[in-house]
Amino acid sequence: MTWKTLLRLLPGDLREPIAGDLEEEYRVRRSRDGSGRAAWWLWCQTLRIAITFRWERVSRGHPLPPIGDEIRTTYMWDSLRQDLVFGARLLTRQPGFTAVAVLALALGIGATTAIFSIVDSVLWRPLPYPHAGDIVMIGEQRPREGRLNGPVAPADFLDWRAMGHSFSAMASATDFALNLTGDVEPQRLRALAASPAFFDALGVTPSKGRAFRPEEEDPGRSHVAILTDGLWRAAFGSRPDIVGAKVLLNAEPYEVVGVLPPGFWWTSRPDVIVPRAFGPEERLLRSLHMFPVVARLGPGVSLGQARAEMDTIGRQLADRYPEENRYHFPQVTPVRDVLVGDIRQPLLLLLGAVGFVLLIACANVSTLLVARATARRREIAVRLTLGAARGRLVRQLLTESALLAAVGGGLGILLAAWLVWIAGHLLPPRLLALPGLSHVVIDLRVLAAAGFATTAASVVFGLVPAYTASGNHAASALAEGGRSGTPGAGTRRVRSALVVAELALSLVLLVGAALLAVSFRRLVDVNPGFDAANLTTMRVTLPQAKYADHSRTTQFFESLLTRVRGIAGIESASVVTLLPFSGADQRSAFRVEGRSSESPVPVRARPIAVSPDYLRTMRIPVVRGRPLTSRDADGAAEVVVISASAARRFWPNEDPVGRRISFEFGKPRWLEIVGIAGDVKDRSLDADAEPAAYLSYLQTAVVGSTRAMSVVVRTTLPVDAAAPLLRTAVAELDKDQPVGPVRPMMDLIAESVAPTRLNFGLLAVFAVVALLLTAEGLYGVMAYIVTQRSHEIGIRIALGASRGMVMAMMLRDAGGMTLAGIGIGTGGALLLSRSLATLLFGVSATDPLVYIAVVAVLGVVSLAAVAIPSARAARVDPLTALRES
Amino acid sequence: MLLAILRLEDEAYAVAVREEILRCTGRDVSRGSVYITLDRLETKGYLRSWLADPTPERGGRAKRYYALRPRAVQALKESRRALVALWKGLETKLA
Repeated sequence: MTWKTLLRLLPGDLREPIAGDLEEEYRVRRSRDGSGRAAWWLWCQTLRIAITFRWERVSRGHPLPPIGDEIRTTYMWDSLRQDLVFGARLLTRQPGFTAVAVLALALGIGATTAIFSIVDSVLWRPLPYPHAGDIVMIGEQRPREGRLNGPVAPADFLDWRAMGHSFSAMASATDFALNLTGDVEPQRLRALAASPAFFDALGVTPSKGRAFRPEEEDPGRSHVAILTDGLWRAAFGSRPDIVGAKVLLNAEPYEVVGVLPPGFWWTSRPDVIVPRAFGPEERLLRSLHMFPVVARLGPGVSLGQARAEMDTIGRQLADRYPEENRYHFPQVTPVRDVLVGDIRQPLLLLLGAVGFVLLIACANVSTLLVARATARRREIAVRLTLGAARGRLVRQLLTESALLAAVGGGLGILLAAWLVWIAGHLLPPRLLALPGLSHVVIDLRVLAAAGFATTAASVVFGLVPAYTASGNHAASALAEGGRSGTPGAGTRRVRSALVVAELALSLVLLVGAALLAVSFRRLVDVNPGFDAANLTTMRVTLPQAKYADHSRTTQFFESLLTRVRGIAGIESASVVTLLPFSGADQRSAFRVEGRSSESPVPVRARPIAVSPDYLRTMRIPVVRGRPLTSRDADGAAEVVVISASAARRFWPNEDPVGRRISFEFGKPRWLEIVGIAGDVKDRSLDADAEPAAYLSYLQTAVVGSTRAMSVVVRTTLPVDAAAPLLRTAVAELDKDQPVGPVRPMMDLIAESVAPTRLNFGLLAVFAVVALLLTAEGLYGVMAYIVTQRSHEIGIRIALGASRGMVMAMMLRDAGGMTLAGIGIGTGGALLLSRSLATLLFGVSATDPLVYIAVVAVLGVVSLAAVAIPSARAARVDPLTALRES
Repeated sequence: MLLAILRLEDEAYAVAVREEILRCTGRDVSRGSVYITLDRLETKGYLRSWLADPTPERGGRAKRYYALRPRAVQALKESRRALVALWKGLETKLA
């Protein structure tokens, strides 16, 4: 746009002298300030004068006329401003209507924007790595167990790495925990043990120092560490000489070789990364599946090619090691699919649900606007008759709805910002570990989405009323003369259709929310197999340097348990390696004495080392045989207690008690099964319990290292009271020994159901909002119909209709709409429930009870919404009604 | 505004009027409001205006000059009379 075009905004009669004045001063300024600043001044001044002028003339009631040479845009601009001013005046004159409409839109747009920003951050925004699309995870799929992407055994990983040519880097990455001690305050760190190629796979370079070297994978040279930026700042005060410094991790000196850049992200959010060293024995392990593998596709290699190559490698390994590898194969998956995994569908579902809320809000505002437009029929008819173009009228009505949408949208964005902030504070840690969720932002993309939602909303809810109002019935509207008259059947149909749509959409949302609510209830009611109430847990990881000897470890935990049991209020205490719901996962294949290695099902169980009274502390029942006792220690017969599901699966028609199994393959170490314990859910309440084998941690030759244990106590003390006592007990034994967070067992379980609770909670909120909006829409329509028909009702009553008959007539109208809405909504819900099926637990997506309950709720709410206007109709005084008309 | 135009005699165009107000009162009024006031006063019949010949330093554009109509002179006189009347007797109090 040139300055000359800008000048056209000035009133034609004054354009020439004003332009001359400005140009005169511009020349002075140009010689003084330079042409750039002078030109900027010229533009600003021209615009300011033009705006002042136009406002001035409009406020005086003499809007600038489109003068001969005015270009079309100026005219458009003028008429748009007129429409805006007119619309704003109308909206402020009806504050009730405006408030309801703006609130509905703000809720719809705000919720949509918030959910969109979360979905966008998690599903669509690129992960914070260069060429993130080339990063894949390689897991083991075990079709016989229906398991995809299981952890990988060390020997398999080493073979894949040596044989695969599709990848430029392949690395293992194991989450664990480390104790940081020394000159800093002792603390427990989230750690990641990763192959040196981990950073190449992610494409991340340390901002200070270097990445790991390949030889640092050897056990003797692996005492190096890379810190995250956060840990470097928090624990080491950003000291500049950190690279090369020694730190104590698990009481062993590690040399810091690098610091990661501030934005580094990995799903477990580690504080420190150390190399994953493989000892000579571990390099041969194929039966213990321990860690996920992350890799980067080589240049020009497609996902399909990589998959094909890994399939071949998997088959070769299965041929070479039939006993261990026959039933599992490598599976290559893009990293985001693995990280997002089971959350993708619920997120999309929520986005769909919130879109429904927005649609309902639009329909709601639309009904309000249709009502208002009907009331303005005469005004519009007069304007049409006087020659206003229909397009011009539609534009004016659309401008009004756009104004509503803009105000609603503005408030909606504020609401969204608040909701996202809340989400950041309320989301459970498991969800915050998702990519992007820890830093969801409202940025340009999200604002663009909000803008789109707003524009779409304004068109959707504005178009229907605009067209119905400006329809070709000017003459009829005028012919009706002064009578307020009943609105045309067409208008009423449109409004009824909108209300029916609202009812249908609400019903779909309500069904979704109700199904998830029932699922959540059923899930929480699931018996985890132990009594979780009054259990408090604490993780203690002893450093290898200090506790290299198994007997020292056992001694430490035995002394700790003795101390803890002495605390008043603690009923019992024990230790366990794999605490249920703690996220710890380990499975190991075993052999059954007297059976060939051939088996129709994978013979695999979770080996859990426990102190003898663990089952009693957890209140896990012993269904057969005996529990472990303190006599099951070194020197005594080596024993194991298996879980009921292990007994069912591996000894379907026989009694396993007295049988012997071995977790070691080369030279078997036979353990006698002495008892069968009840099943325990340990990963999630909705999954079947996995076979477990409880080993006595006092039999150190059997269980190996037990340096990382969870202390679990049954106590009536609240966790705040128990925590310091437990910490003190540890500190009295070893003052340098840090402990993990002390948490009630209930919290761990609650965390495992958090995603379900979140889905259900959000969907419930949406459904309630939808219900309220629908009720309001229904109320509005009925109230309006009553007002419009008061004349007719008056005549009916005057002619002898009873109040009951009038009320019944009104309810029949509303009932028709409600029934239609419920019918369509039920159909829609049945169609859409299929997408919900995988998220449900313990309830069918077509559960008739849920549908009946929802229909009943919707029916009652609808009845309540129409009862008031219907009662008012019945109270219409025939005299007043007839006189007024 | 009217006084400024009166003071400027034959030189009263928008830029000069704005500068005159600034010089006499110290008040820097915006360009837009000067144009609007001139426009308004002209509509109300207080001012007449004419276009002068275009000059090159104005990019070949004409200046619009303003002068008072008798009605404006009358209004000024009345305003002055009212002011003087109100001031009478207050000289000592505000001295």
